[in-house]
Amino acid sequence: MMMKKKRSVMHSIAAAPHIFWAILFIVLPLIIVVYYAFTDDTGAFTFDNILSLEDYVPIFVLSLELSVIATFICLLVGYPLAYIMAKAKPEHQKIFVMLLMLPMWTNLLIRTYSIMAILDDGGLLNTILGTSMHIVGTKGAVIFGMVYDFLPYMVLPIYTCISKIDKHMWEAASDLGCNTVQVITRVIFPLSMSGVISGVTMVLVPSISTFYISQKLGGGTFELIGDTIERQFVTGAYNVGGAISLVMMILILISIGVMNRFSEEDEGGIII
Amino acid sequence: MAKLIELKGISKSYDGEKVIDGMNLYIRDGEFITLLGPSGCGKTTTLRIIGGFETADEGSLYFDGVEISEVPAHKRHINTVFQKYALFPHLNVYENIAFPLRLKKKPEEEIKKRVTDMLKMVALSGFENKSVSTLSGGQQQRVAIARALISHPKVLLLDEPLGALDLKLRKDMQNELKTIQQAIGITFIYVTHDQEEALSMSDTIVVMADGEIQQIGTPTDIYNEPKNAFVADFIGESNIIDGVMLEDKRARFSGHTFDCVDGGFEKNEAVDVVVRPEDVDVVEPERGMLIGKVTSVTFKGVHYEIIVDIKGFKWMIQSTDYVAPEATIGLYIEPEAIHIMKKSKYSGKFGDYSSFSDELDQLSDADTAEEF
Amino acid sequence: MKKYASRIYLCLVFAILYIPILTLMLFSFNNTESTANFTGFSLEWYIKLFNDENAFIALRNTLILAVSSSLLSTIIGTAAAEGIYRMRSKWLKNAVNSVTNVPMMNPDIVTGVSFMLFFALLVALLGIDDYDSIGFGAMLIAHTTFCLPYVILSVLPRINELGESLTEAALDLGCTPVQAFFKVKLPNIMPGVLSGMVMAFTLSLDDFVISYFVSPSNFQTLPLLIYSMTKKTVKPDMYALSTIIIITVFTLLIISNIKSFKKSDKVRRKKGGKA
Repeated sequence: MMMKKKRSVMHSIAAAPHIFWAILFIVLPLIIVVYYAFTDDTGAFTFDNILSLEDYVPIFVLSLELSVIATFICLLVGYPLAYIMAKAKPEHQKIFVMLLMLPMWTNLLIRTYSIMAILDDGGLLNTILGTSMHIVGTKGAVIFGMVYDFLPYMVLPIYTCISKIDKHMWEAASDLGCNTVQVITRVIFPLSMSGVISGVTMVLVPSISTFYISQKLGGGTFELIGDTIERQFVTGAYNVGGAISLVMMILILISIGVMNRFSEEDEGGIII
Repeated sequence: MAKLIELKGISKSYDGEKVIDGMNLYIRDGEFITLLGPSGCGKTTTLRIIGGFETADEGSLYFDGVEISEVPAHKRHINTVFQKYALFPHLNVYENIAFPLRLKKKPEEEIKKRVTDMLKMVALSGFENKSVSTLSGGQQQRVAIARALISHPKVLLLDEPLGALDLKLRKDMQNELKTIQQAIGITFIYVTHDQEEALSMSDTIVVMADGEIQQIGTPTDIYNEPKNAFVADFIGESNIIDGVMLEDKRARFSGHTFDCVDGGFEKNEAVDVVVRPEDVDVVEPERGMLIGKVTSVTFKGVHYEIIVDIKGFKWMIQSTDYVAPEATIGLYIEPEAIHIMKKSKYSGKFGDYSSFSDELDQLSDADTAEEF
Repeated sequence: MKKYASRIYLCLVFAILYIPILTLMLFSFNNTESTANFTGFSLEWYIKLFNDENAFIALRNTLILAVSSSLLSTIIGTAAAEGIYRMRSKWLKNAVNSVTNVPMMNPDIVTGVSFMLFFALLVALLGIDDYDSIGFGAMLIAHTTFCLPYVILSVLPRINELGESLTEAALDLGCTPVQAFFKVKLPNIMPGVLSGMVMAFTLSLDDFVISYFVSPSNFQTLPLLIYSMTKKTVKPDMYALSTIIIITVFTLLIISNIKSFKKSDKVRRKKGGKA
């Protein structure tokens, strides 16, 4: 017994550098964010930064609106895609996954810029069509940018989840009387819920906090919360910037926590 | 009993490999029929074709006289208990069983009554709100049966449903399945590779190998009158010896001429002779029809398993009397204990216990065990 | 019918995903500055790019940073995974896991600004006059930190799957615990370690947001270079750079997939042979 305990403690020491690292470079920076959020230029404690956030509520709401719409479209477009991929022949599946990974590994800036070049006022689309549509600078363009940039993040987790579902589930469902649509709505969708939740998180978080997409595709006409944070820090307004970051982080971590609670219950059910 | 399901000339290939080859079979209403065979013999594929999860390449499938080859699974009056149950993890016990009724939009009271009755039948009353993933294997099995039976199918398909259970539970569930089948009186089509399971539960056994039916019959027929060397070897233990039919009721093998009860062969036709190990009596060498040397004796609880070398062919004999290894003994065989079979493609493959194995699928293990 | 519908759907989605990237690649070969009118083929922008010292410095910086941060995070992360696996206290395990996952869950911009503030404070406290002098260190720390959770996430399941029996066998045969880890456990969890390292490498290569907030003026990476290029009116030289990056990523992806294709082929053949 003693031996075993000693050995286990010794081995846990392997985690020590990481714990040290995590405290120093994960926890401490976040504490500093909190510190800045609650102090003024002179370092004195204040609630002013938090209170001033009232002015930013419309920006929060706009960011939330655009990113929720984008996430919903990603789900709507991505779920069927993931489903079709998971039902394809195994050798085709690999190719599809690769085709999804490639845009994912292509830098976000490049991807965003590539659609901007197409949608711009003097861009490829207007040149080809001979029109002068004004797309960049609209909400639609920003939402399209988010969907385009983050769609693979929605598809891959859902695809993984569906392809792990026992094939007998399909057979059992149709054996018990489900038609093709009912098999999906009654059995497969509920069983792929954990994939949907992680897909939603993986799209929602970067969409809500983006500043590059809105800078390029928003055409400078409106500001999202990411732009606000970036502007605060570039102009040296660390305290207000810290306060906005803090609030955004708390909101996001809470919503991830809530969603994970859901999916954990779900998964727990499968595993135990 | 009327024919309920009929398979006519069913064939199925995967990647160019035939798993079922021109199968003809009919299944009567209300019978417990077992498809028995080693893995890869095509029994599960046959079941999946009946269930509607696979379509045959050739041939047609009839249900109650109507062709259903193209009818999708959810429109057949046939339900399945899957190998690993395939219970829906996102639904609790009650909702799993209620699932087919909900699809049919039955009223809530009817669902409640039928699910409750069904739970009572499979002895799971009180488990309504449990998550299926917290149940034991046996309980999951019962839920799967209840779920498959709730919409009153005419046929229940069971794909090795007891495979995942331990021995004791398996025996209990065998009895219970038989009881349920007799109580509701519908057809059960059962797939297994376990001959004991097949013998103890079935009305009819269909022995399959290499995508073909080897023999169809009642358990006693199959055991007592195996049609060829494969069936003889697969069902129970058998000594299968090359022999010659001298004339009706006279067979010669192992250098001795025996009286037997079979006839209808050509004069001097080469045949396979089957003698079950329990049908051989050990006698004094001078009284024996055959004489051999004991090479090994294993205590098996009820009896001893004795391997005897007779002219290079190793016989297995089961006897309640002990004999010493290396002893020379005589064997006596009653005419009724000698079964004569026509030669088949399985002749010469089985029956010699020089590389004795308990079960087909334990070949390698048993080999090493014997050496020690 | 159904099959056609799903095929058309697949093609449509992939077309939308790829058309912008392909157009961008096409216009990198344009012979004028236009990014909307393809007037003729030329390698002008590539030549220009290859004469651009900044691009090479950025490439070098990116690679140095990606290699060093992926190595560092793999070492710390693998050790951490082993340590977490050994932890008896469920509470401690959960605490470590949740803290580790924070950079993965948190929006990049928050991680970025937290590092920015952290290093700003550090510079002030230590009395360093020039942030550039610790710039590379800061970038290395930031990149290693956001790569760590991915390494741990890739190694930990392998360790869990492997279980104790191999280590116990090694100890029984006379290994010290440290030897048992390096001689027996590590080789067996190697696929997880390697895929964690590749993941870390790619993440570091790709990162823009965090680098944007942490980078000193004397250490520019490729994504930062692209960002500064897109701040002005974009000329196709940025397209040329992007095209090179995309083709590199594509080649790497294909190579790694061909390897796994071959592997699965072998497995299939083996299985087939046995049956």
